[in-house]
Amino acid sequence: MTGIAPRNESDGLADVLERVLDKGLVIAGDIQVNLLDIELLTIKIRLLVASVDKAREMGIDWWEHDPSLSSSERNLVEENERLRRRLGELEATPEAERS
Amino acid sequence: MTGGAGTYVYAVTRPLPDGLPAGLCGIHGGPLRALAVDDLACVVSSVELDQFAAEPFRRNLEDLRWLERVAREHDAVVQALSAVTTTVPLRLGAVYSDDQSAQHRVRGLREPALATLETLDGREEWGVKIYAVPRRAEPPAGDEQRPASGLDYLRRRREQLERTTLDARGLADDAEEVFAALSALAVQGRRHRPQDPALSGVKHPMLVNAAFLVPRDERARFQQAVTALSAERPAGAMVATGPWPAYSFATLDDG
Repeated sequence: MTGIAPRNESDGLADVLERVLDKGLVIAGDIQVNLLDIELLTIKIRLLVASVDKAREMGIDWWEHDPSLSSSERNLVEENERLRRRLGELEATPEAERS
Repeated sequence: MTGGAGTYVYAVTRPLPDGLPAGLCGIHGGPLRALAVDDLACVVSSVELDQFAAEPFRRNLEDLRWLERVAREHDAVVQALSAVTTTVPLRLGAVYSDDQSAQHRVRGLREPALATLETLDGREEWGVKIYAVPRRAEPPAGDEQRPASGLDYLRRRREQLERTTLDARGLADDAEEVFAALSALAVQGRRHRPQDPALSGVKHPMLVNAAFLVPRDERARFQQAVTALSAERPAGAMVATGPWPAYSFATLDDG
């Protein structure tokens, strides 16, 4: 049977996870993480399964959009704060001179 | 974390007059129970809250070994149920503080659950993945010879690049045609996000990661079509798995 694999114990983990995490009727439990959390976790698990080390070279870049993890975003925030401080200093200078 | 047990829901079915499949256990070996919910039933087992309450659950999901075990146990229950009755699988992780709470939630989903049961009656899911396996390229005659000039070299290089691009486009178009052909034989076709090579374990890029809802009594016809399409393509370009419980067709959201 070319190309048809019967289901068995060794089914690809990715195939099983794809279905039990991503699909199926969505009813969030009353003491459970909510749906959005599940979506987010699913994405994180995809990355985990793919192994974090390889993720970047494979072009998985979801963390670029996750402020809690993205170094580029962290840098951006820091850069922003630095500029804001600098602007504050510049604006403060004439005031100091005036007083 | 507080100890104690919660109620984990695997699936929604119609009432089960013959009870649950014998010998079937739930997550971590927990005994399964079928809870009646009006004209529906939900299949549950008790799970320990020190693993399944929101916080520990969130942590455990990132532990691949824990996740794999629970995912396979969840899937085994859904698979066994699907073999005996029309089953609406739930997504992994629906945990309630007690049976009443779970029943209350399922009661609230009665209408969509009944509609989904009707859609899934007598049908099963098949997965088909299509990979970009290049057809063996035949170099045009004379290509083995050294280029006659720099210009000749550039011309050949350009032709080679054009062939590669055409080939990639051809494979993508071909994958779409396969999806369309199999969709025509199925009640519904859906596409999952293509898996990365690290996930699929196949070095060729995945072009299509599809699921098809197929009437059980047309399984042979669908398999024949898969076999025929697969035989026309390079080895490994098409991989089908199944039958699966109809996970991909039970979503209430757009997932």
